[in-house]
Amino acid sequence: MSSRRSRQSSSGASRITDDQIIQLISKLQHLLPGTRIQRSNKSSASKVLQETCTYVRSLHREVDDLSDRLSQLLSTIDADSPEASIIRSLIM
Amino acid sequence: MNHYVPDFEMDEDYLLSDSSNLRRHKKSTMGDEDIMELLWQNGQVVMQSQNQRSAGNRKSEMMPSTAGREIRSGAMEDETTPCNLFMQEDEMVSWLHYPSDDNNLDMYLHNNDIMYSGLPSSSSGVIPAPSSQPPPPPPVVSVPSPRPPIPPSKRVEEEPNLPKVANFLHFSKPGKGNGNLTGSAPAKSNKASQAVTQSTVVESNDRPVNEPPQSRASLVSGANIGCRGSMSSFYGAGTSSAGREPETYDLSASSSPGTGGSGASASVEPLPQKPPPATEDRKRKGVDTDDTECYSEDVEFEYHEAKKQKRGSASTKRTRAAEVHNLSERRRRDRINEKMKALQELIPRCNKTDKASMLDEAIEYLKSLQMQVQMMSMGYNMVPMMFPGVQRYMPTMAPMGMGMGMDHVGMSRPMVPYPQVLPGPAMPNPAAAAAHLGQRFPVPQFQMAGQVPVMRPTGSPAANPSDPMMTPFPVQNGSQPRVPFADPYQQQYYIGLPQTQMLQPQHKIVCGGWDGAKYAFYVASTTSFTRISCQSPYVQNQTGMPAVTSKPSSSKDVKDPEHHPTSKPPN
Repeated sequence: MSSRRSRQSSSGASRITDDQIIQLISKLQHLLPGTRIQRSNKSSASKVLQETCTYVRSLHREVDDLSDRLSQLLSTIDADSPEASIIRSLIM
Repeated sequence: MNHYVPDFEMDEDYLLSDSSNLRRHKKSTMGDEDIMELLWQNGQVVMQSQNQRSAGNRKSEMMPSTAGREIRSGAMEDETTPCNLFMQEDEMVSWLHYPSDDNNLDMYLHNNDIMYSGLPSSSSGVIPAPSSQPPPPPPVVSVPSPRPPIPPSKRVEEEPNLPKVANFLHFSKPGKGNGNLTGSAPAKSNKASQAVTQSTVVESNDRPVNEPPQSRASLVSGANIGCRGSMSSFYGAGTSSAGREPETYDLSASSSPGTGGSGASASVEPLPQKPPPATEDRKRKGVDTDDTECYSEDVEFEYHEAKKQKRGSASTKRTRAAEVHNLSERRRRDRINEKMKALQELIPRCNKTDKASMLDEAIEYLKSLQMQVQMMSMGYNMVPMMFPGVQRYMPTMAPMGMGMGMDHVGMSRPMVPYPQVLPGPAMPNPAAAAAHLGQRFPVPQFQMAGQVPVMRPTGSPAANPSDPMMTPFPVQNGSQPRVPFADPYQQQYYIGLPQTQMLQPQHKIVCGGWDGAKYAFYVASTTSFTRISCQSPYVQNQTGMPAVTSKPSSSKDVKDPEHHPTSKPPN
């Protein structure tokens, strides 16, 4: 896709520059866990995106897991206790 | 996360409703094939299997003319499932419009073959179909055509009806396969179909680009190409997991209509990427990549041709190099686009279409997810320690807190978790997370009547690190929120402020922070816990309460609600 060409030619308000995207990608990269040291090497957007997807999925799993554990914990304590309310709020 | 394409569900329902009364037998598939063929040939849609039967006779006559499906011949008698017809009828309607379109027919036939060929028993039985197709295709095992046998055939074994339909639909790319077929149809197709089905060959259909003209297989492959990812993925899925047939069928069936509807469009939808069930991950992945490749290949192919035409003979070398470069560039872009789409799927409520805003949302969502995980894990570790621990720790904390509070005035230290209160594991967690997130907010040390320090939410907007927090009472008493509400410190103060009296003896802010959805502060008292929170947009489960809410566990103790600041959600 000749995104560059089309973008340049289009003078619409939403002119997304490549630099902008590069910056966003690098920001995203910084959020990802992993070696902080040589992050810049993996500047390939596709790799970063791939890792982001993987990371988000793992976070989802973690949230699910924690939710399960919290709900288990909830079942073990008195439902009216303050802790219960806290747990409930955490589980949302 | 809902990766699954809703189309499938819709299609599925559609198909299922049609074929509600279908009985899926292998045999019937064969019969269905015949029946279906009949329909085509005659240009009439004979929905009833019975009709088919009668038509079958006709069909046999016609067979030779059409692509001749060996399976057909054999199966004709069987027709046990009119349902197939039904199912296909709708989808086939589009084809019906092209009765004279041999290609379509061929494709159709191929589809049938493929689908049915999957049935080992049926296929073998069908093979004989001597009347119509001259060459009794070998029982499938070998796939003469280079094209990978359509995995659906395998599936067909299990659920002939559905796959059939799916296949059929996939053949909505007459352009691709037809050319090859028209001439050859009968002999080759049979063989190819046979080979395809049977059995073992469940190769990804990802080699769409090079269709061997020789046989139906090509057609099938063409069809496969058309449906590409969906079919292969589905079929692959079907084969890989026996238990999943129904799903795969549904998927394929559903996808078929989609592809069918689109007609012979070379574009491959990104279907393959989404739907396959989890167990088919490996297959799916393979397929996905394959699909991607195929798709890009297809596109490249077309683009390449176009380019060549344009340039003519001028500087062919340069053009070729440029083309190659463009192709690779396009491939790279396609890959990136696919990943962006995948990411977009993961992000809930993301309706942005442009890259930059989508990336922005991804970044925000990732941050909020991290926070959520952090809060949940912290809470999970903290809750067991809650009450009893708090009381115990309070006294120790108080003096400590004071000291620490002083230190922290106006600085941007990394978050300091409760050194004494939190159990070991909990501490590193938030601390690590905080550090990881790069937040530099000091933990507000509330010393309100010995309150436990509150953890500064990392996601909160830049708080006013200085004065508000550190001086316990005076500040609290006197301070009106200096910072905008979004500031969690602010809220804390609020909480502390009016409640000072109330909180004094018993109420302590046990912890607080961003729990992924809201800023929450747990105020502990000897008898109750109250959670004060204000929502934020990103949490998945949140109910969407915009205002600060408090959930006092026991109303008598806490009068927090009145004191709640009307803070707006931080985001």
